[in-house]
Amino acid sequence: MSRRSITFTINGEKKTFEIEPGEKLAKLLRRKGYVGVKEGCDEGTCGACTVIIDGHAVFSCILHAFLADGRDVRTIESIGDFDNPHPLQAALVEEGAVQCGYCIPGMIMSAEALMQEMSNPTDDDIRTRMDGNLCRCTGYEKIWAAVKKVAQTNKS
Amino acid sequence: MKLTDFRAARNLAEARAILKELGPVGLPMAGGTSLVFTSEKDERVAVDINRAVPAGIARENGSYRVGPTTRLAALQMFRGDGWVLDRVAVRLATQQIRNMSTIGGNISRVFPWADFPVALLALNAAMVIAGDAERTLNADEFFDGQPARLFQPGELLMAVKVPALTAGQGFGYRKQTQTSAGFSLMTAAVFVEADGNAVKTARVAIGAGVPFPGRATGVEDLLKGRKASEAAFREAAGKGLAELKFKGGDGMSEEYIGHLAAVLVGDALNEAWVAAKGGAA
Repeated sequence: MSRRSITFTINGEKKTFEIEPGEKLAKLLRRKGYVGVKEGCDEGTCGACTVIIDGHAVFSCILHAFLADGRDVRTIESIGDFDNPHPLQAALVEEGAVQCGYCIPGMIMSAEALMQEMSNPTDDDIRTRMDGNLCRCTGYEKIWAAVKKVAQTNKS
Repeated sequence: MKLTDFRAARNLAEARAILKELGPVGLPMAGGTSLVFTSEKDERVAVDINRAVPAGIARENGSYRVGPTTRLAALQMFRGDGWVLDRVAVRLATQQIRNMSTIGGNISRVFPWADFPVALLALNAAMVIAGDAERTLNADEFFDGQPARLFQPGELLMAVKVPALTAGQGFGYRKQTQTSAGFSLMTAAVFVEADGNAVKTARVAIGAGVPFPGRATGVEDLLKGRKASEAAFREAAGKGLAELKFKGGDGMSEEYIGHLAAVLVGDALNEAWVAAKGGAA
Protein backbone atom coordinates (compact mmCIF):
# COMPACT_ATOMS: atom_id res chain seq x y z
CA MET A 1 0.00 0.00 0.00
CA SER A 2 1.61 3.23 -1.11
CA ARG A 3 1.67 6.45 0.86
CA ARG A 4 0.18 9.44 -0.90
CA SER A 5 0.32 13.15 -0.18
CA ILE A 6 -2.60 15.47 0.44
CA THR A 7 -2.63 19.19 1.19
CA PHE A 8 -5.12 21.07 3.31
CA THR A 9 -5.32 24.09 5.55
CA ILE A 10 -5.03 23.17 9.20
CA ASN A 11 -5.82 25.88 11.74
CA GLY A 12 -5.05 28.56 9.15
CA GLU A 13 -1.82 27.03 7.89
CA LYS A 14 -1.53 25.16 4.57
CA LYS A 15 0.31 21.86 5.06
CA THR A 16 1.08 18.72 3.10
CA PHE A 17 0.79 15.29 4.72
CA GLU A 18 1.77 11.79 3.67
CA ILE A 19 -1.07 9.37 4.34
CA GLU A 20 -2.08 5.74 3.85
CA PRO A 21 -5.11 5.37 1.53
CA GLY A 22 -7.41 4.14 4.28
CA GLU A 23 -6.11 6.41 7.05
CA LYS A 24 -8.71 8.35 8.98
CA LEU A 25 -8.32 12.05 9.68
CA ALA A 26 -8.21 11.66 13.48
CA LYS A 27 -5.26 9.25 13.24
CA LEU A 28 -3.42 11.60 10.90
CA LEU A 29 -4.03 14.66 13.05
CA ARG A 30 -2.93 12.96 16.26
CA ARG A 31 0.11 11.50 14.48
CA LYS A 32 1.05 15.06 13.51
CA GLY A 33 0.68 16.45 17.01
CA TYR A 34 -2.90 17.71 17.04
CA VAL A 35 -3.62 15.64 20.14
CA GLY A 36 -6.50 17.83 21.27
CA VAL A 37 -8.43 15.70 18.78
CA LYS A 38 -9.55 12.88 21.07
CA GLU A 39 -10.19 9.32 20.03
CA GLY A 40 -13.12 7.78 21.86
CA CYS A 41 -15.35 5.29 20.09
CA ASP A 42 -13.46 5.27 16.77
CA GLU A 43 -16.74 4.52 15.00
CA GLY A 44 -18.53 7.88 14.65
CA THR A 45 -20.64 7.73 17.76
CA CYS A 46 -19.16 9.70 20.68
CA GLY A 47 -18.03 13.01 19.14
CA ALA A 48 -14.73 13.35 21.04
CA CYS A 49 -12.89 13.54 17.71
CA THR A 50 -15.04 16.36 16.27
CA VAL A 51 -13.23 18.84 14.02
CA ILE A 52 -14.59 21.54 11.74
CA ILE A 53 -14.18 21.13 7.98
CA ASP A 54 -15.26 24.00 5.73
CA GLY A 55 -17.40 25.30 8.60
CA HIS A 56 -19.12 22.02 9.45
CA ALA A 57 -18.55 19.77 12.47
CA VAL A 58 -17.57 16.23 11.44
CA PHE A 59 -16.35 13.03 13.07
CA SER A 60 -12.64 12.85 12.19
CA CYS A 61 -12.42 9.24 13.42
CA ILE A 62 -14.44 7.95 10.46
CA LEU A 63 -13.58 10.58 7.87
CA HIS A 64 -11.04 9.28 5.38
CA ALA A 65 -8.11 11.70 5.48
CA PHE A 66 -7.94 11.96 1.68
CA LEU A 67 -11.39 13.59 1.69
CA ALA A 68 -9.83 16.56 3.55
CA ASP A 69 -7.56 17.29 0.58
CA GLY A 70 -7.94 20.95 -0.43
CA ARG A 71 -10.25 21.77 2.46
CA ASP A 72 -10.10 23.97 5.55
CA VAL A 73 -9.71 21.99 8.78
CA ARG A 74 -9.93 23.37 12.31
CA THR A 75 -9.10 21.51 15.48
CA ILE A 76 -9.42 22.47 19.15
CA GLU A 77 -5.84 23.82 18.91
CA SER A 78 -7.26 26.78 16.92
CA ILE A 79 -9.74 27.74 19.61
CA GLY A 80 -7.88 29.13 22.61
CA ASP A 81 -5.51 28.21 25.38
CA PHE A 82 -5.10 28.47 29.13
CA ASP A 83 -3.96 32.10 29.03
CA ASN A 84 -6.36 33.22 26.30
CA PRO A 85 -9.44 31.05 26.51
CA HIS A 86 -12.15 31.21 23.86
CA PRO A 87 -15.49 32.49 25.22
CA LEU A 88 -16.84 28.94 24.98
CA GLN A 89 -13.97 27.63 27.07
CA ALA A 90 -14.46 30.39 29.66
CA ALA A 91 -18.21 29.76 29.79
CA LEU A 92 -17.73 26.03 30.29
CA VAL A 93 -15.49 26.76 33.29
CA GLU A 94 -17.89 29.39 34.68
CA GLU A 95 -20.84 26.99 34.42
CA GLY A 96 -18.92 24.12 36.04
CA ALA A 97 -19.56 22.10 32.90
CA VAL A 98 -16.28 20.19 32.78
CA GLN A 99 -15.64 17.06 34.79
CA CYS A 100 -13.27 14.49 33.27
CA GLY A 101 -12.99 16.75 30.22
CA TYR A 102 -12.40 14.09 27.57
CA CYS A 103 -15.49 15.06 25.56
CA ILE A 104 -14.90 18.80 25.84
CA PRO A 105 -12.72 19.42 22.74
CA GLY A 106 -15.39 17.79 20.61
CA MET A 107 -18.17 19.66 22.41
CA ILE A 108 -16.39 22.97 21.79
CA MET A 109 -15.88 22.23 18.08
CA SER A 110 -19.57 21.38 17.61
CA ALA A 111 -20.57 24.53 19.51
CA GLU A 112 -18.12 26.65 17.53
CA ALA A 113 -19.53 25.34 14.22
CA LEU A 114 -23.04 26.11 15.49
CA MET A 115 -22.05 29.66 16.50
CA GLN A 116 -20.48 30.27 13.11
CA GLU A 117 -23.69 29.20 11.37
CA MET A 118 -26.34 30.63 13.72
CA SER A 119 -26.03 33.89 15.60
CA ASN A 120 -29.03 33.22 17.80
CA PRO A 121 -29.53 29.47 18.29
CA THR A 122 -32.53 28.27 20.28
CA ASP A 123 -32.27 25.59 22.96
CA ASP A 124 -33.56 23.14 20.38
CA ASP A 125 -30.90 24.23 17.87
CA ILE A 126 -28.18 23.67 20.48
CA ARG A 127 -29.44 20.23 21.41
CA THR A 128 -29.90 19.18 17.77
CA ARG A 129 -26.50 20.48 16.64
CA MET A 130 -24.72 18.86 19.57
CA ASP A 131 -26.59 15.56 19.45
CA GLY A 132 -23.43 13.82 18.26
CA ASN A 133 -21.38 14.69 21.34
CA LEU A 134 -21.69 12.29 24.24
CA CYS A 135 -20.69 13.16 27.82
CA ARG A 136 -20.74 10.46 30.46
CA CYS A 137 -20.05 12.83 33.40
CA THR A 138 -22.17 15.94 33.36
CA GLY A 139 -25.67 15.16 32.16
CA TYR A 140 -25.31 17.86 29.47
CA GLU A 141 -27.34 20.63 31.15
CA LYS A 142 -24.34 22.71 32.18
CA ILE A 143 -22.67 22.26 28.81
CA TRP A 144 -25.79 23.49 27.01
CA ALA A 145 -26.08 26.36 29.51
CA ALA A 146 -22.52 27.43 28.69
CA VAL A 147 -23.22 27.37 24.95
CA LYS A 148 -26.43 29.32 25.47
CA LYS A 149 -24.55 31.88 27.56
CA VAL A 150 -22.05 32.53 24.78
CA ALA A 151 -24.82 32.68 22.17
CA GLN A 152 -26.65 35.31 24.21
CA THR A 153 -23.44 37.30 24.67
CA ASN A 154 -22.79 37.20 20.91
CA LYS A 155 -26.36 38.37 20.26
CA SER A 156 -26.20 41.38 22.62
CA MET B 1 -14.06 -2.17 2.49
CA LYS B 2 -10.32 -1.72 2.56
CA LEU B 3 -9.03 1.16 0.48
CA THR B 4 -5.84 0.37 -1.40
CA ASP B 5 -5.66 3.75 -3.12
CA PHE B 6 -7.65 6.90 -3.77
CA ARG B 7 -8.19 9.19 -6.71
CA ALA B 8 -9.70 12.66 -6.83
CA ALA B 9 -11.91 13.60 -9.77
CA ARG B 10 -11.91 17.28 -10.70
CA ASN B 11 -15.06 17.09 -12.80
CA LEU B 12 -17.72 14.69 -14.01
CA ALA B 13 -15.88 13.60 -17.15
CA GLU B 14 -12.80 12.77 -15.12
CA ALA B 15 -14.83 10.89 -12.51
CA ARG B 16 -16.49 8.79 -15.19
CA ALA B 17 -13.17 8.10 -16.91
CA ILE B 18 -11.50 7.02 -13.67
CA LEU B 19 -14.41 4.78 -12.69
CA LYS B 20 -14.48 3.19 -16.16
CA GLU B 21 -10.74 2.57 -15.96
CA LEU B 22 -11.00 1.04 -12.48
CA GLY B 23 -14.04 -1.11 -13.27
CA PRO B 24 -15.59 -2.97 -10.32
CA VAL B 25 -12.69 -2.00 -8.05
CA GLY B 26 -13.65 1.68 -8.25
CA LEU B 27 -15.72 3.07 -5.42
CA PRO B 28 -17.34 6.50 -5.80
CA MET B 29 -17.08 8.26 -2.47
CA ALA B 30 -18.34 11.61 -1.15
CA GLY B 31 -18.90 11.36 2.61
CA GLY B 32 -17.57 7.86 3.11
CA THR B 33 -19.54 7.19 6.29
CA SER B 34 -21.09 3.94 5.08
CA LEU B 35 -17.68 2.27 4.86
CA VAL B 36 -17.85 1.82 8.63
CA PHE B 37 -20.43 -0.92 7.98
CA THR B 38 -18.61 -2.81 5.23
CA SER B 39 -16.16 -5.71 5.33
CA GLU B 40 -12.43 -5.05 5.30
CA LYS B 41 -11.98 -8.12 3.05
CA ASP B 42 -13.19 -6.23 0.00
CA GLU B 43 -10.33 -4.15 -1.50
CA ARG B 44 -11.36 -1.04 -3.41
CA VAL B 45 -9.95 2.19 -4.86
CA ALA B 46 -11.91 5.22 -3.68
CA VAL B 47 -12.78 7.98 -6.12
CA ASP B 48 -13.57 11.32 -4.48
CA ILE B 49 -16.59 12.60 -6.45
CA ASN B 50 -17.27 15.71 -4.36
CA ARG B 51 -16.06 18.02 -7.12
CA ALA B 52 -17.62 15.97 -9.91
CA VAL B 53 -21.21 15.35 -8.88
CA PRO B 54 -23.63 18.18 -8.03
CA ALA B 55 -24.64 19.27 -4.55
CA GLY B 56 -27.52 21.56 -3.70
CA ILE B 57 -31.30 21.77 -3.90
CA ALA B 58 -33.11 23.62 -6.68
CA ARG B 59 -36.78 23.94 -7.59
CA GLU B 60 -37.47 22.43 -11.02
CA ASN B 61 -41.10 22.63 -12.13
CA GLY B 62 -43.12 20.60 -9.62
CA SER B 63 -40.14 18.98 -7.95
CA TYR B 64 -36.96 19.69 -6.09
CA ARG B 65 -33.82 18.54 -7.86
CA VAL B 66 -31.33 17.41 -5.23
CA GLY B 67 -27.67 16.89 -6.11
CA PRO B 68 -26.41 13.49 -4.93
CA THR B 69 -23.49 14.96 -2.98
CA THR B 70 -25.84 17.19 -0.98
CA ARG B 71 -25.13 16.61 2.69
CA LEU B 72 -28.01 15.42 4.83
CA ALA B 73 -27.52 18.54 6.98
CA ALA B 74 -28.40 20.66 3.95
CA LEU B 75 -31.62 18.66 3.52
CA GLN B 76 -32.29 19.23 7.23
CA MET B 77 -31.82 23.01 6.96
CA PHE B 78 -33.57 23.59 3.63
CA ARG B 79 -37.05 25.11 3.65
CA GLY B 80 -39.34 25.42 0.63
CA ASP B 81 -42.98 25.01 -0.40
CA GLY B 82 -43.89 21.34 -0.31
CA TRP B 83 -40.43 20.28 0.92
CA VAL B 84 -40.62 17.56 3.57
CA LEU B 85 -37.23 15.82 3.61
CA ASP B 86 -35.98 18.08 6.43
CA ARG B 87 -38.12 15.94 8.75
CA VAL B 88 -36.41 12.78 7.56
CA ALA B 89 -32.90 14.23 7.71
CA VAL B 90 -33.10 15.63 11.23
CA ARG B 91 -33.99 12.19 12.62
CA LEU B 92 -30.99 10.52 10.99
CA ALA B 93 -27.96 9.81 13.21
CA THR B 94 -26.15 12.87 14.59
CA GLN B 95 -25.23 16.33 13.34
CA GLN B 96 -21.66 15.30 12.52
CA ILE B 97 -22.92 12.38 10.44
CA ARG B 98 -25.52 14.61 8.75
CA ASN B 99 -22.68 17.01 7.89
CA MET B 100 -20.72 14.16 6.25
CA SER B 101 -23.26 11.79 4.70
CA THR B 102 -24.89 12.53 1.38
CA ILE B 103 -28.30 11.61 0.01
CA GLY B 104 -26.59 9.80 -2.86
CA GLY B 105 -24.62 7.62 -0.48
CA ASN B 106 -27.68 6.94 1.64
CA ILE B 107 -29.66 5.55 -1.30
CA SER B 108 -27.06 4.06 -3.64
CA ARG B 109 -26.14 1.30 -1.21
CA VAL B 110 -29.16 0.56 0.95
CA PHE B 111 -28.45 -0.69 4.46
CA PRO B 112 -31.32 -2.35 6.33
CA TRP B 113 -31.89 0.69 8.53
CA ALA B 114 -31.71 3.31 5.73
CA ASP B 115 -34.33 6.06 6.06
CA PHE B 116 -34.28 7.91 2.75
CA PRO B 117 -35.31 4.97 0.54
CA VAL B 118 -38.49 4.69 2.62
CA ALA B 119 -39.30 8.40 2.30
CA LEU B 120 -38.46 8.50 -1.42
CA LEU B 121 -40.66 5.46 -2.10
CA ALA B 122 -43.59 7.15 -0.37
CA LEU B 123 -42.99 10.41 -2.23
CA ASN B 124 -42.59 8.69 -5.62
CA ALA B 125 -39.22 10.38 -6.18
CA ALA B 126 -37.15 9.78 -9.31
CA MET B 127 -33.44 9.12 -9.64
CA VAL B 128 -31.34 10.25 -12.60
CA ILE B 129 -28.37 8.05 -13.54
CA ALA B 130 -25.86 9.31 -16.09
CA GLY B 131 -23.27 7.42 -18.06
CA ASP B 132 -22.94 7.38 -21.84
CA ALA B 133 -26.67 8.10 -21.76
CA GLU B 134 -28.96 9.49 -19.08
CA ARG B 135 -31.92 7.58 -17.68
CA THR B 136 -34.48 8.31 -15.01
CA LEU B 137 -35.85 5.62 -12.74
CA ASN B 138 -38.79 6.01 -10.41
CA ALA B 139 -38.35 5.01 -6.78
CA ASP B 140 -40.14 1.66 -7.24
CA GLU B 141 -37.65 0.67 -9.96
CA PHE B 142 -34.61 2.13 -8.20
CA PHE B 143 -35.31 0.36 -4.89
CA ASP B 144 -36.44 -2.95 -6.38
CA GLY B 145 -33.27 -4.51 -4.97
CA GLN B 146 -29.87 -3.02 -4.19
CA PRO B 147 -29.52 0.10 -6.38
CA ALA B 148 -25.82 -0.70 -6.89
CA ARG B 149 -27.00 -3.34 -9.41
CA LEU B 150 -28.14 -0.52 -11.70
CA PHE B 151 -24.77 1.20 -12.08
CA GLN B 152 -22.28 0.22 -14.78
CA PRO B 153 -18.64 1.33 -14.37
CA GLY B 154 -18.55 5.03 -15.18
CA GLU B 155 -22.20 5.60 -14.34
CA LEU B 156 -23.10 7.92 -11.50
CA LEU B 157 -26.23 9.11 -9.77
CA MET B 158 -26.72 12.70 -10.94
CA ALA B 159 -29.95 13.85 -9.30
CA VAL B 160 -32.77 12.89 -6.98
CA LYS B 161 -36.06 14.49 -8.03
CA VAL B 162 -38.38 14.90 -5.08
CA PRO B 163 -41.96 16.00 -5.81
CA ALA B 164 -42.99 19.19 -4.02
CA LEU B 165 -46.24 18.60 -2.17
CA THR B 166 -49.17 20.80 -3.11
CA ALA B 167 -52.52 21.67 -1.50
CA GLY B 168 -54.49 18.55 -0.65
CA GLN B 169 -51.36 16.42 -0.28
CA GLY B 170 -49.63 15.44 2.93
CA PHE B 171 -46.56 13.53 4.15
CA GLY B 172 -46.25 11.56 7.35
CA TYR B 173 -43.06 10.11 8.78
CA ARG B 174 -42.39 7.94 11.79
CA LYS B 175 -39.16 6.28 12.89
CA GLN B 176 -38.66 4.18 15.99
CA THR B 177 -35.19 3.91 17.49
CA GLN B 178 -33.81 2.78 20.84
CA THR B 179 -31.81 6.01 21.25
CA SER B 180 -32.25 9.33 19.45
CA ALA B 181 -29.25 8.70 17.20
CA GLY B 182 -29.78 4.95 16.93
CA PHE B 183 -30.52 2.92 13.85
CA SER B 184 -34.16 2.58 12.93
CA LEU B 185 -36.06 -0.43 14.23
CA MET B 186 -38.97 0.49 12.01
CA THR B 187 -39.51 3.40 9.64
CA ALA B 188 -42.81 4.39 8.04
CA ALA B 189 -43.35 7.09 5.44
CA VAL B 190 -46.69 7.99 3.93
CA PHE B 191 -47.95 10.24 1.17
CA VAL B 192 -51.69 10.92 0.93
CA GLU B 193 -53.78 12.97 -1.43
CA ALA B 194 -57.23 14.02 -0.27
CA ASP B 195 -60.41 14.15 -2.31
CA GLY B 196 -62.75 15.97 0.03
CA ASN B 197 -63.05 13.73 3.07
CA ALA B 198 -61.85 10.64 1.23
CA VAL B 199 -58.40 9.32 0.42
CA LYS B 200 -57.77 9.75 -3.29
CA THR B 201 -54.31 8.16 -3.25
CA ALA B 202 -52.00 6.80 -0.59
CA ARG B 203 -48.39 5.67 -0.99
CA VAL B 204 -47.13 3.82 2.06
CA ALA B 205 -43.55 2.61 2.51
CA ILE B 206 -41.83 0.85 5.38
CA GLY B 207 -38.23 -0.06 6.14
CA ALA B 208 -35.79 -1.31 8.76
CA GLY B 209 -38.00 -4.01 10.28
CA VAL B 210 -38.44 -5.73 6.93
CA PRO B 211 -35.85 -7.45 4.72
CA PHE B 212 -35.64 -4.47 2.33
CA PRO B 213 -37.46 -1.10 2.17
CA GLY B 214 -40.60 -1.30 0.08
CA ARG B 215 -44.18 -0.23 -0.50
CA ALA B 216 -46.98 -1.59 1.67
CA THR B 217 -49.46 -1.85 -1.19
CA GLY B 218 -51.92 -3.81 0.95
CA VAL B 219 -52.43 -0.70 3.10
CA GLU B 220 -52.67 1.55 0.03
CA ASP B 221 -55.35 -0.62 -1.57
CA LEU B 222 -57.48 -0.60 1.56
CA LEU B 223 -57.40 3.20 1.72
CA LYS B 224 -58.07 4.13 -1.89
CA GLY B 225 -61.38 6.02 -2.06
CA ARG B 226 -62.13 5.37 1.60
CA LYS B 227 -63.50 8.05 3.90
CA ALA B 228 -60.65 9.25 6.07
CA SER B 229 -60.67 8.73 9.82
CA GLU B 230 -58.18 7.62 12.44
CA ALA B 231 -60.10 4.35 12.80
CA ALA B 232 -59.90 3.76 9.05
CA PHE B 233 -56.15 4.44 9.04
CA ARG B 234 -55.53 2.10 12.00
CA GLU B 235 -57.63 -0.63 10.45
CA ALA B 236 -55.91 -0.34 7.06
CA ALA B 237 -52.47 -0.38 8.69
CA GLY B 238 -53.32 -3.47 10.75
CA LYS B 239 -54.95 -5.47 7.95
CA GLY B 240 -52.73 -4.24 5.13
CA LEU B 241 -49.51 -5.22 6.85
CA ALA B 242 -50.74 -8.54 8.21
CA GLU B 243 -49.30 -10.66 5.40
CA LEU B 244 -45.85 -9.07 5.39
CA LYS B 245 -42.78 -10.77 6.82
CA PHE B 246 -41.05 -8.78 9.55
CA LYS B 247 -37.57 -9.14 11.03
CA GLY B 248 -37.07 -9.58 14.76
CA GLY B 249 -33.81 -9.15 16.61
CA ASP B 250 -32.19 -7.26 19.47
CA GLY B 251 -34.65 -8.87 21.88
CA MET B 252 -37.68 -8.00 19.72
CA SER B 253 -39.88 -10.65 18.16
CA GLU B 254 -41.17 -10.56 14.60
CA GLU B 255 -44.67 -10.11 16.05
CA TYR B 256 -43.56 -7.07 18.02
CA ILE B 257 -41.94 -5.44 14.97
CA GLY B 258 -45.09 -6.16 12.96
CA HIS B 259 -47.19 -4.50 15.65
CA LEU B 260 -44.77 -1.55 15.74
CA ALA B 261 -45.10 -1.20 11.96
CA ALA B 262 -48.90 -1.03 12.17
CA VAL B 263 -48.74 1.62 14.92
CA LEU B 264 -46.21 3.74 13.02
CA VAL B 265 -48.02 3.48 9.69
CA GLY B 266 -51.25 4.47 11.43
CA ASP B 267 -49.53 7.44 13.07
CA ALA B 268 -47.91 8.48 9.79
CA LEU B 269 -51.26 8.25 7.96
CA ASN B 270 -52.87 10.48 10.57
CA GLU B 271 -50.02 12.97 10.30
CA ALA B 272 -50.16 12.99 6.50
CA TRP B 273 -53.94 13.42 6.49
CA VAL B 274 -53.79 16.41 8.86
CA ALA B 275 -51.20 18.00 6.55
CA ALA B 276 -53.28 17.22 3.45
CA LYS B 277 -56.24 19.00 5.03
CA GLY B 278 -54.11 22.06 5.72
CA GLY B 279 -53.03 21.25 9.27
CA ALA B 280 -49.65 21.76 10.84
CA ALA B 281 -48.06 18.37 10.20
